[in-house]
Amino acid sequence: MQSPETILELQHIYKSFDDFVALDNINIKLDQGKFYSFLGPSGSGKTTVLRIVAGLILADRGKVLFDGQDISKLPAEKRKVNTVFQNYALFPHLNVFDNVAFGLRLKRMPQDELQERVMQALKTIQLNGYEDRMISELSGGQQQRVAIARAIVNEPRLLLLDESLSALDQKLRQQMQYELRSLQQRLGITFLFVTHDQEEALAMSDEIIVMNEGRIQQSGTPVDIYDEPINHFVANFIGESNIVPGTMIRDYEVEFVGKRFECADAGMRDHEPVEVVLRPEDITVTTPNQGKLVVSVDSQLFRGDHFEITSHDEDGNEWLIHATNSIEDRDKVGLSFSPNALHVMRFGEKEADFDRRLSEYEGDES
Amino acid sequence: MTRTSRLSYFSLYLLWILFFVITPVALIVYQSFFNLNHQFTLQNYRDYLSSSVYLRMTLNSFIFAFLITLLTLLISYPAAYYLTRLKHRQLWILLIILPTWINLLLKAYAFIGIFSQAGSVNHFLTFIGIGPQQILFTNMSFVLVAAYIQIPFMILPIYNSLVDIDPAIINASHDLGANNVQTLWRVIIPMSANGVRSGVQSVFIPSLSLFMITRLIGGNRVITLGTAIEEHFLTTMNWGMGSTIGVVLIIIMFITMMLTASRRKGGVKR
Amino acid sequence: MTEKHTWIGKLYLAFAFAILYMPIFYLVFYSFNSGKNMSGFKGFTWSHYQTLFADSRLIIIVLQTFLVAILSALIATIVGSLGALGIYQVRRRHTRNLLLSLNNILMVSPDVIIGASFLILFTAMGIALGFGSVLASHIAFSIPIVVLLVLPRLQEMDYAMIDAARDLGANSWQILSRVILPFILPSVFSGYFMAFTYSLDDFAVTFFVTGNGFATLSVEIYSRARQGINLEINALSALMFLFSIILIVGYYLLNQYTQSRRQRRQKDGVYLK
Repeated sequence: MQSPETILELQHIYKSFDDFVALDNINIKLDQGKFYSFLGPSGSGKTTVLRIVAGLILADRGKVLFDGQDISKLPAEKRKVNTVFQNYALFPHLNVFDNVAFGLRLKRMPQDELQERVMQALKTIQLNGYEDRMISELSGGQQQRVAIARAIVNEPRLLLLDESLSALDQKLRQQMQYELRSLQQRLGITFLFVTHDQEEALAMSDEIIVMNEGRIQQSGTPVDIYDEPINHFVANFIGESNIVPGTMIRDYEVEFVGKRFECADAGMRDHEPVEVVLRPEDITVTTPNQGKLVVSVDSQLFRGDHFEITSHDEDGNEWLIHATNSIEDRDKVGLSFSPNALHVMRFGEKEADFDRRLSEYEGDES
Repeated sequence: MTRTSRLSYFSLYLLWILFFVITPVALIVYQSFFNLNHQFTLQNYRDYLSSSVYLRMTLNSFIFAFLITLLTLLISYPAAYYLTRLKHRQLWILLIILPTWINLLLKAYAFIGIFSQAGSVNHFLTFIGIGPQQILFTNMSFVLVAAYIQIPFMILPIYNSLVDIDPAIINASHDLGANNVQTLWRVIIPMSANGVRSGVQSVFIPSLSLFMITRLIGGNRVITLGTAIEEHFLTTMNWGMGSTIGVVLIIIMFITMMLTASRRKGGVKR
Repeated sequence: MTEKHTWIGKLYLAFAFAILYMPIFYLVFYSFNSGKNMSGFKGFTWSHYQTLFADSRLIIIVLQTFLVAILSALIATIVGSLGALGIYQVRRRHTRNLLLSLNNILMVSPDVIIGASFLILFTAMGIALGFGSVLASHIAFSIPIVVLLVLPRLQEMDYAMIDAARDLGANSWQILSRVILPFILPSVFSGYFMAFTYSLDDFAVTFFVTGNGFATLSVEIYSRARQGINLEINALSALMFLFSIILIVGYYLLNQYTQSRRQRRQKDGVYLK
């Protein structure tokens, strides 16, 4: 694979609204042609990042580089970036064609070229034949497509999507996830998608940037972030996890609930206090004698494709388990898991240090 | 949008506020401190407060406005209530608004005919055996005509507040055991109180200052604050005293507005 | 509601409508009276209408009145809409409330106060009383109602629409002309309409600020009515009533038409899903 070029770079971006610090030193590079998701709870600053990239607001400090050029002070209308807005923000007084043609008309594009480009965009999102419809006559999913067409018709090199699927119902949402992903691959342009829905981000993205309290917590591929969350917040926010306090005895050995376990992590101080993450689907239920841990079962819920079991150990830590079979009249069960399933997190580790440590000991292994 | 472009199109409106809102109010207050010889003085206020003629006039004006408002309210509330029960309400409401588009003067003029010595009302009074009465140029005729003119302005806000009431609330009231009268008294009337307030506001204040109806219908017997101001400005040319009465009227207006202010916070009502 | 209740309600409304319309029909009825006044219908005649159309002074006054109404409503609509836009963009709450309070002063002030204070204003500024002063006053008292009609429509507008327009490359002027204006246009029209009727209806303010040379219909009717009954005025009111009915029917039909069209198109939309 050839090395992709950087399309957007944010350097030391700070932004406050009155007393509220929305962004606190954001640094990120986005490559050409990839699908990025900014993921975080509301108030985490992800939408602020998007608005700063779009030029709808300006950062207090820091630089926005687009294609290597500083566009920090450039107003939105002059930026070669387009946005699909949260509630679409379509113009109710214009029909579908005129909505899509809006940006091209402002550029005074000749009529025949404009006609062709708009029709092409409508075809891309499978709404050809809807040109004369008013916006109020469209369903939510159709409006969503028009909003996408209105943005991509301008051929931006970077498309911003602000919680673009959140107004759709569950089924339509999943369908649109496939469509957005395939659209991005067909067009080959960079997508910057903002969402609070971790499943959405995991499903669609090449890379996820997890945000909380105005800072980037961790960025990486969906698999990396899921398997190796950097801290409690990320582990908790992405997927479901069991997080228990523990102590790193030495490399590849960690202690929690009074027992020592083999693990796959290294590069920390000996006897350093840590947190240990164990995903519910990585746990197997066995008999108490065979289990590495013994827990008391509290409740079971049938979730369709699995049983969700809640339990607690003798220290009072709660354990969530996803099992294929239900547990029948057994108060105490054993839990078993492989050393690879354990993930150890240091307190307050910076992303750069985290990445360096991971690459060091993973390098050892291979 | 940039600050400068905003200011450039905002400036016309701000100029309007400066020249036609702030300046006139300031000028009328300023003028009230001058006597006929253009000397600065407090005499106008002293005269106003010590003269029984002015004070009685103010009181009369108040009583008239109160009666007009009360009469308008009594006629309008049931009308507004029953209007909410009709089909094609939009059409009926337009029919309530329609008379307000007929020039005020024409409506007042109609009553000169209706109330005149040989007019319809006296025909009717003769017919039922009471005999013709002097109606025009009496206090009563003034109150009736003023109320007539204000009725639509009372009906509309009350109607709007009644229409806003969720029918489910009325159903809930019945469900909890209230009969029609109890529902009206305990639910509907309290919930339409804001409509009544703004109706009272838009009837009471103009009623204090109607001057052409007092002239045409009340003859020159009924003197209100409005007639007094008109007379001082346009007949006796004593602008100082006219302005003083104007300032009094403005103060009364503010008190009325405070008393009838909507209890809900914020928001301007149409 | 019970049967009996409905019956009482309808009767009451019939009574209320009778009171509201009785004086108007009374005027119209006697405009055809061949007698001299509004009592005792002597016989049918068009003569008062003939007098009216031959009365060149009155015709000129009618034209002047309409001229003032059309012009003042136009200017008030422009200034008021721009004002509403300005207020909409004010972010600080206190400034915004202050502007709104100032805006509403002329809405709640009694006519005499407006008339008297404008008279002082024009005199102080050395402006001659006449067409100019009447036009300026009508513009002035119509502006606030335009603001009050346009502002809520602006506030209904999704602010993201403006962001979207900027994102697609629109500058301030293009945002105003291509996005905001088309969106608020219905309320701008109703603002014009209200300003127009305010101007036609006004008597008190005009009475204060008009000089000897200029009169509007209201002022003219007032001075004629003070001299007693004149059936020419009845004929005039019949015509004005007709004019109002045409306006209101037109307005109602227009409303019905746009509403039903919207509903029909929405229905089509549902079928196509």
